[in-house]
Amino acid sequence: MTSSVMTLWENRNALGLLVRRDLAVKYQQSLLGYLWSLIEPLGVAAIYWFVFGVLYGTGSDRHLGDANNSYPLFLITGIFAWSWANAAMGEATSALTGQARLITTMKVARQVFPIGRVLGRFAEFLAGLPILIILAIVFGELHFDWQLLALPLAVLLQTVFLTGLALLLSSLNVLLRDVEKLMRLGLRVLFYATPIIYPLAMVQNANMPGWAKDVYELNPLVGIMELYHAIWYPEMFPSATLLGITVGISVALLVGGWWVFRRLEPAVLKEL
Amino acid sequence: MATPIIEAEGLGVRFVRNRRRQLRIREMFIHRGGRQPNPGEFWPLRDVNFAINPGDAIGIIGRNGTGKSTLLRLIAGVLIPDEGKITVRGRVAPLLELSAGFSNDLTGRENVHLVGSLHGLSSNFLKKTFDEIVDFAGDQVSKAIDTPVRHYSSGMKVRLGFSVIAQLSHPILLVDEVMAVGDAEFRKKCYATIERLLAEGRTLVLVSHNEGDLTRFCNRGLYFNAGKLMTDGSVQDALDAYNAVVRA
Repeated sequence: MTSSVMTLWENRNALGLLVRRDLAVKYQQSLLGYLWSLIEPLGVAAIYWFVFGVLYGTGSDRHLGDANNSYPLFLITGIFAWSWANAAMGEATSALTGQARLITTMKVARQVFPIGRVLGRFAEFLAGLPILIILAIVFGELHFDWQLLALPLAVLLQTVFLTGLALLLSSLNVLLRDVEKLMRLGLRVLFYATPIIYPLAMVQNANMPGWAKDVYELNPLVGIMELYHAIWYPEMFPSATLLGITVGISVALLVGGWWVFRRLEPAVLKEL
Repeated sequence: MATPIIEAEGLGVRFVRNRRRQLRIREMFIHRGGRQPNPGEFWPLRDVNFAINPGDAIGIIGRNGTGKSTLLRLIAGVLIPDEGKITVRGRVAPLLELSAGFSNDLTGRENVHLVGSLHGLSSNFLKKTFDEIVDFAGDQVSKAIDTPVRHYSSGMKVRLGFSVIAQLSHPILLVDEVMAVGDAEFRKKCYATIERLLAEGRTLVLVSHNEGDLTRFCNRGLYFNAGKLMTDGSVQDALDAYNAVVRA
């Protein structure tokens, strides 16, 4: 394991090149360039705001707490983080199958292909941060305080989580192409299983059995999303248990994903 | 005697025909003691032993489907052996599928930088040699250098790919039938380049069916049949063995 981490480090140049290539290919031919990476999540956020903010917005039982008067900020924060996760998982699944010719002729650590997809989408997430900051200022929720540290922690955990999943999904997808099709449903389920359009408090107060609530919190994106919310609303900072579960499962996924990738690599190379 | 630059010991790779995917996945994770032989299983290469010294020019000869390209992929490190091992001491410049690294949506210029850097050329070096690379690829390519590679003909892509890889200073060259593509003029350039690189003391591994090419460049021939190394000797020995089988 350590030796493969070393080879990955030696291939960091290739990693950077592939990320830049993906971004260049994506934005070169579009007039609005990087704005597209903002327009889509903002559009989606507008839809949810209309449905859940305007139509279903009854104020009292939304459990939004501090976020009660700044639902758009709450929503857009979640959607931006989700866009990163969603696109990274979707694109990582086809990272090996889609670049088969490159992989079978060039010797680079194969891990760079799925990891590159995760980092490429992180760049787009970064591009959206100024929008979040402007919104936070508008809603008066930007506090220069220790709570801002929730952002790097959330980003770190999300990177760990996504890298593990990307390694797992990309290698499995070469051997079982059904993975790509399953992902479409999987991502939709995951979106609603994460407190993005609704607050976590709503799940905790919901009328469902305790074990279901425990299972719900096993999704690392729950804890990660709460960290993002905590940047503006410190009361949403995840409890020690939730944070522990999130860290534990994310790290387990990274180690497991890495292991599976190494294990499947010989078969993957034959199959490409 | 010098340490061999490429060394194969009991090298073998197993492929599985018509495998059932689910089954295969399960096998990956659950090691069973004695594996039952799978009927669809075959070995494109097995029990292969050889050592190649620095500066050698090796010609690989054999009928279609006898594991020649598989061997090149093993040397290039883009395939992992199931048995034995292959040791490669030094970086490899693969002239395999020359247009493989190109992104169709990027221009020729961007692709030269991308592929060159992926192969380990520094961006300074690429800037300095850029004109040389493009000149080598020919008029057609230099006129189209700022249009997306998507619009290139396959010949143009191969020329540009060859020009980039010819700049690599890696000690080992793998060549798989590249000389078959491209027109006579470009082929002449390729020959000159390969001769220049050999004169610099690089090690060449060439897969070809062209006797002329093989005798021209190689000082040693390996003849493969059905995944086994049959003859390891001079190019003429290997060609004789090959011809004996083919013409019989």
